[in-house]
Amino acid sequence: MPCWLRRTIGFTLYLAPLAVLLTAWQLATQGAPERQFIFSSPLQVGQTFYDLLLSGELLRHSAVTSFETFVGFVIGTSTGAVIGLSLWYYPSAARIARPYVVAIGAVPVFALAPVIIVWFGIGVFSKVMMAALSTVVVAVVQAYEGTMSVEKRFLRLMDVMGASRAQTFRKVIVPSALVWVVNSMKLNIGLALLGAFIGEFISAERGLGYLIVRASGLFDMATVFSAIIMLTVIALVLTRGVEWLERRVLGWRNNNGAG
Amino acid sequence: MPGRIEIERISYRYPGETRFVLKDISLKLEPGRVVCLVGPSGCGKTTLLNIVANLLAPECGNVRFHDGSGEGRRIGYIFQFDALLPWRNVHGNIRLGLEIAGRKPDDTFDEKVITYLKSFNLDETILHQYPSQLSGGMRQRVAIIQSLMYQPNVLLLDEPFAALDFYTKLTLEREFWNLIKTENKAALLVTHDIDEAIAIGDRVLVMEANPGAIIADYEIRFDGGVGRDPAEVRGLPDFAHYFDQIWKTMGLRRNDRVLKDAVLA
Repeated sequence: MPCWLRRTIGFTLYLAPLAVLLTAWQLATQGAPERQFIFSSPLQVGQTFYDLLLSGELLRHSAVTSFETFVGFVIGTSTGAVIGLSLWYYPSAARIARPYVVAIGAVPVFALAPVIIVWFGIGVFSKVMMAALSTVVVAVVQAYEGTMSVEKRFLRLMDVMGASRAQTFRKVIVPSALVWVVNSMKLNIGLALLGAFIGEFISAERGLGYLIVRASGLFDMATVFSAIIMLTVIALVLTRGVEWLERRVLGWRNNNGAG
Repeated sequence: MPGRIEIERISYRYPGETRFVLKDISLKLEPGRVVCLVGPSGCGKTTLLNIVANLLAPECGNVRFHDGSGEGRRIGYIFQFDALLPWRNVHGNIRLGLEIAGRKPDDTFDEKVITYLKSFNLDETILHQYPSQLSGGMRQRVAIIQSLMYQPNVLLLDEPFAALDFYTKLTLEREFWNLIKTENKAALLVTHDIDEAIAIGDRVLVMEANPGAIIADYEIRFDGGVGRDPAEVRGLPDFAHYFDQIWKTMGLRRNDRVLKDAVLA
């Protein structure tokens, strides 16, 4: 089979589930206004998405949510990673911190949302805090696990060479744990988006969460789906960003072994 | 003699254990000579290396470094599986010891690296490659160069060739032998392989377990002296003679123990 044909078939198979879903959805709602009112339809969603895009409303709300997600993600992940890595350096602090990390990790962010909004208001900052809070625990746990998973032979080498604890931390622990930190970033994209979205959902004046709440109140399902599509786009763009960062930071992992 | 290392009456027990892993071990390491330790699993060979490397503190006895430079203990430790840091390229790994010592590479550093690469039949281009891009034999060679750049007074080798294919192992043994002689380094090598111990050892010490102790000491001499090729000596009649002696020593001890255990049972 020629290469182009194999690629075309592969691409078709890749899109097939989506095409089947959209077709079934369109057929089920075609010519039934009451069903279209409740479920909307792919054509309606497409039209609304286009209109919202042209009017700039979708991009305005998306920019707010993207900003909250990105800044919250950066603050939460970097703070968590620094804490997680530092816990290797101070083992007694790690012992004390463990139950607190577990306890904080067990609290649903949704439960904290009202508190955050009372403390930080209904503006962008409270959503940033929600996004940061959603990501920080995962970042702490992953970074700490990363430091504890360093191969013993590397630590033995550093001992033999007479390295200080600071040198071992800088030259072995941090680079080795970076794999775990980057993995935490991948997990945290979704969590940051969820945190920002929950904040907007509870109380906001702009953002995709706000748009969804407002549109669903008016049974405008096409707008709700348009906002959901934009949330997916934001998640995909951020994921691509982390993958780019992964290639830059962990480029050494892409080399093939020589045997 | 400068560069000599004396291991004096070392005994060791793991914390909380009553049984000695090592009991009263004494030996001398001299520059330009390879001492090989052979013995059954669990006889404490690696524990002894770790004590010399200062990774474990002996319960009694001590390790004395007679180093003319006055810089104290500098150890090169080569493991069975190399410990090259995968996120550093070969040059970065070779530089590691120097960085840890807080020294900057001088003008001669790169020249020296290239000289070592040549003596191990490695190309300069590998300096920019990552460990995952190298074969097992190449990684082990780089690990040895990394240790040498650290200017150690002793090289400790824990089954360094065990994970390599036979041809690579023979090549590396030859390169290692030449290097020890030209660089005049003391080396203590642990191996399960009696062949390997005779081929590259100036002395072969046989250990037994429970507790770990040296039970025999063989001075290995072949016609040809320092120019010997570890691959070629395997075909000499003396080689078979040494092998037979060491094998018998290990076998007799094992048989004695089996017999004693059977009587006690």
